[in-house]
Amino acid sequence: MEPSYLFFLSSGLFLGWSLGANDAANIFGTAVGSKMVRFSTMAIIASIFVMLGAVFGGAGTSNTLGALGAVNALAGSFMVALSAALSVYMMLRAGVTVSTSQAIVGAIIGWNLYAGRSTDYETLAEIVVGWAVCPLMSAIIAAVLYIICKKTLRYSKLHLLMRDQLTRAGLILAAAAGAYALGSNNIANVVGVFVESCPFKPLKMGSILTLAPVQVLFMLGAAAICVGIATYSHKVINRFGNNLMKMAPLEALIVVLAQAVVLLLFASVMLHHWLQAHSIPALPLVPVSSTQAVIGAILGIGFAKGGRDINWSIILKVVSGWCIAPLIAMVVCFISLFFLENVFNLTVYLPNG
Amino acid sequence: MFNPKYLMFSGTRELEEKIDEMHDKIIESSMFFKEAFEIYIKEKRSLNYRRASKKIKIVESEADDLRREIESRLYRQNLIPDLRADVLQIVENIDKVINEFDEVAHKFYIEQPDIPEEFYEKFKLLVSQVSECAENMSIASRAFFRDFVTVRDYSKKVYLLEQESDKTWSKLKQEVFDSKLELAHKIQLSALIGGVADVADKAEDCMDALLIFAIKRDI
Repeated sequence: MEPSYLFFLSSGLFLGWSLGANDAANIFGTAVGSKMVRFSTMAIIASIFVMLGAVFGGAGTSNTLGALGAVNALAGSFMVALSAALSVYMMLRAGVTVSTSQAIVGAIIGWNLYAGRSTDYETLAEIVVGWAVCPLMSAIIAAVLYIICKKTLRYSKLHLLMRDQLTRAGLILAAAAGAYALGSNNIANVVGVFVESCPFKPLKMGSILTLAPVQVLFMLGAAAICVGIATYSHKVINRFGNNLMKMAPLEALIVVLAQAVVLLLFASVMLHHWLQAHSIPALPLVPVSSTQAVIGAILGIGFAKGGRDINWSIILKVVSGWCIAPLIAMVVCFISLFFLENVFNLTVYLPNG
Repeated sequence: MFNPKYLMFSGTRELEEKIDEMHDKIIESSMFFKEAFEIYIKEKRSLNYRRASKKIKIVESEADDLRREIESRLYRQNLIPDLRADVLQIVENIDKVINEFDEVAHKFYIEQPDIPEEFYEKFKLLVSQVSECAENMSIASRAFFRDFVTVRDYSKKVYLLEQESDKTWSKLKQEVFDSKLELAHKIQLSALIGGVADVADKAEDCMDALLIFAIKRDI
């Protein structure tokens, strides 16, 4: 592997770092914020499961991004990932929560436009439908879970302390599931554009396991996510959780579970095949936003409670961010590719790709 | 036999028991208070009364220990962080009601008021109403940890009993001041009647806080 590859990969790794810093808050923000579980415990669990999810379940969504635009030159991949990261950074600076999934799709379309490739509109439509369905599904799952939990608690008459302990255990399990789902669904955002130019060799881990080159790439991306979790997520967590609606630990558990289920439904190749084999309409394997899923779940609970506590102004701000982020990423990517090719004389796309 | 489930929740179960014991202490102190008052009416400051009021003192002291143990365990085991302040408040409120029983029983012992026979029935009624009020508050408070509907049911009872005890307190006080007793005697009895009625007031305050906590907890 050439050292330059690592330099080009750095933009993807930076994107992974910011994903870890931001999206970990969605998974265990409330659990840590409410002091139910220690940050270090959650960070370790989340890191392990993000890694597992990325390495063993990240292929499905990466293929979809590849179908949208097969970025075939390393410098091009670098700029696509960097544009996505920059647009996410710009939006965050403006105080708007955005999704790396949307930014990366915008950046890939920017690359398609620059390289003169036609965007696969069928795949794009699949992705956009995925984005719309994701929060909706998350809201429905969360609302149903909320109603079931409320009824169960009313009839079970569990002691407050026992309930607290069970919620705590549930939060840890849900965080593990959420982290696995995040790794499998969102690794495509981080290093998906580098798959075409992946230079790694298969990695043997003992006599049982051999990782394919793409899995090694995913592992590297997941490591960047883990660094993001370990180094910066704590700061994000301190600000997360109370903006949209005040959440009790049990509500936080429901939100994380709903998010994990939705992200897994959009990422699991096995489930996708199983549903298709049984003639059940399967969800497209697209990278969706964990933030969208969380917001959907919070809204679902809010509606199940009668819709009193929802902060609509923040939701409008978030939704506007969803629309603007891909556009910004597309424009930034197009302009940056022009500079990269004409100022730095780098090949940003291969003609026969 | 080793069972990880019990190991995991053993600390919680112990604390559950401590909180239950704390609630038992209200019932105990209320029963001992009724018993002590009956003895006082018959025997004034006798050895029997001393024993009865001593029982309340012991319950009060045990409740203090339990309160401290619950508080420290809640913090040490980092339990219910979101509701810890509310639970601590409940435990302290319970302790205040028990303290009030002890204080009134001790006042009777120290001041040895002479209660004329004409006031016996109303006095007994007041004691029974405040004791029942405290007992119902204890049931509601216990239910807070398991079942909200019961909290609301018992809150009605507590408020009703507090109102009844207020009426009895007012009538009794009026009768005392309408009587031919010495002014100092009237003032002494009035203060004692007020002390007894304060138990129900404390129970009512606990109930108010409890209802707010229950609304906060309602998911």
